[in-house]
Amino acid sequence: MEIIISNSSDIPIYEQIKEQIKVKIASNELPENALLPSIRTLAKDLHCSVITTKNAYEELVKEGYILNVPSKGFYVAKVNKEIVLEEQLNKIEDCLDKAITIAKMNNIKLKTLKEMLSVLYEEEK
Amino acid sequence: MIGFIKKDLAMMKSNFKLLGVLILVYAIMGFMGQMDISFILPFMCVMIMISSFSYDNYNKWDAYSISLPNGRNNSVKSKYITTILMTLMVSIITILLSFMISFVNTKTVDYEQIVVTMFGTLFGTILVLSIMYPIIYKFGVEKARIGIFLIVFGIVIVGGFLVEYIDFSFLTKTISLLENYLLFILIVTMIVMVFISYTISKKIFRKKEF
Amino acid sequence: MENVLEIKNLCKKYDHFELKNVSFSLPKGMIMGFIGENGAGKTTTIKAILNIIQSYSGEIKIFGFDNRAHDKEIKEEIGVVLDDMFFPEILTPNDINKAMEGIYKNWDTKMFHAYLKEFSLLPNKQIKTFSKGMRKKLEIATSLSHHPKLLLLDEPTSGLDPVARAEIIQILQNIIEKEECSILFSSHITADLEQIADYITFIHNGEIILSKATNELLDKYGIVKCSEKEFKEIDKKDYLKYKKSKYEYEVLVPNKKEFKTKYTISVIDKITLDDLMVLMIKGEEE
Repeated sequence: MEIIISNSSDIPIYEQIKEQIKVKIASNELPENALLPSIRTLAKDLHCSVITTKNAYEELVKEGYILNVPSKGFYVAKVNKEIVLEEQLNKIEDCLDKAITIAKMNNIKLKTLKEMLSVLYEEEK
Repeated sequence: MIGFIKKDLAMMKSNFKLLGVLILVYAIMGFMGQMDISFILPFMCVMIMISSFSYDNYNKWDAYSISLPNGRNNSVKSKYITTILMTLMVSIITILLSFMISFVNTKTVDYEQIVVTMFGTLFGTILVLSIMYPIIYKFGVEKARIGIFLIVFGIVIVGGFLVEYIDFSFLTKTISLLENYLLFILIVTMIVMVFISYTISKKIFRKKEF
Repeated sequence: MENVLEIKNLCKKYDHFELKNVSFSLPKGMIMGFIGENGAGKTTTIKAILNIIQSYSGEIKIFGFDNRAHDKEIKEEIGVVLDDMFFPEILTPNDINKAMEGIYKNWDTKMFHAYLKEFSLLPNKQIKTFSKGMRKKLEIATSLSHHPKLLLLDEPTSGLDPVARAEIIQILQNIIEKEECSILFSSHITADLEQIADYITFIHNGEIILSKATNELLDKYGIVKCSEKEFKEIDKKDYLKYKKSKYEYEVLVPNKKEFKTKYTISVIDKITLDDLMVLMIKGEEE
């Protein structure tokens, strides 16, 4: 399992961990019932503090993505993939909204915007 | 406890060689019928141990030792035990050597003479250590080094003065009276001296802060 | 959560320096970074925990027991690295091993030798032939080899190069992974602590300025950079300290999210422990 965290990012580290695990669950890289590394092992491997990984897991439990089985560990819960996907789509919508606002403020046409989007999308690949 | 003694002994490793050389010199001189330097040997043990305080001091061992289990007590206790162990061992070696030297040189062995000489030396050594260690714990080894010179000079000068002006015949009389018990009295006095000295050192060290 | 170390109202007075009501606690299985300038009181606090200094007032509890009343039992379970205090340098790691076998009930010779190997320290060389970094590593190896439940490390990475520091951080994390050990780690190199410390306790002039979860500090606190005009509009309740430089104001805010919703100032930087230390010490309040 790969988790990449950036220390210079403005996003708190526990959120970075949380989001990446969510994505892995959505993409089935972490299938249902998969055992996650322990809080302390993950902290060691990611070179972060124990509280950080603990926070990330606690929030994932709260949001229903993983289950805490006492004295056994954390397992991936049964999650509705569509809901996960929806959440991700909502995020994209938010970002696009911002882009549109800027575009409108500067009189940039939809066509230009679409072109930009496809160029960027291809580049990312 | 044993760990602390092992540490003190390990520190003396390089000095054991020096002691060995001294013992050898003593043996050679003895067999050749030269001067008897046996009294130096136990005294050297104490001098070497005092040098171990400087090493301790340099790396702040005393402070570190307090972080170890029962460090405040053991650190002092081990210094006394190690010193006394070493002094006794060297004394025994010296006595055995003296027997041999005396036997080779004169074909007889004056056991009593040798043992009494040795106990006299041992007594002196224990006296020095009993005075020195509390001073070292109180004032540090550097100041104590100056102290040792003053003490030795003091004893020589006062002793010389006393011998000059006071009639010791009563003392020799008492001593001859006690002659049969002399060894016993020496041993008891030594034990009492060490005990008092150790108690004082322990008290000083227990209150020490670094 | 169970606390391994609890300090309440620790006071100690010297001629030129004084610890004033130092209080903080370290939960079990956690790493606490103990930061502050040189001379702020880190070493004095650690010495008090270990009874190297004794004439202090206040209460120190380790594993729930009074540190003075249960000195011996507590010390069997503590590992220490102290600044500048160690075995005499004419000894070798082998000598230390033999001595420690007789000092700690749980001394683990195998583990000690494994650490020596890991740190490339020759067991039969006198300590005085070691470089400063090697000495520190030896001290750390010594502090770890009796399976301590609490590690008190006073500047364990000072004088070490970045590679050696990373090695040591890794070892501490390996130990913490097993949850049996808690660590109080004093340092003025805050980068070491930013990543791995669960809690940060910050001491200045003998007083604890703050003691908080690292996350909370780094994620919530921020540095606002603004002009004088903008600065004048900020409510005094919304910032802790500020520093004026030639071109800008640097303002330490305790809750950057709240700040963002309240003000329109756009530049809010992520904070590092170094920034925090500098602003807390050098910044002005009024």
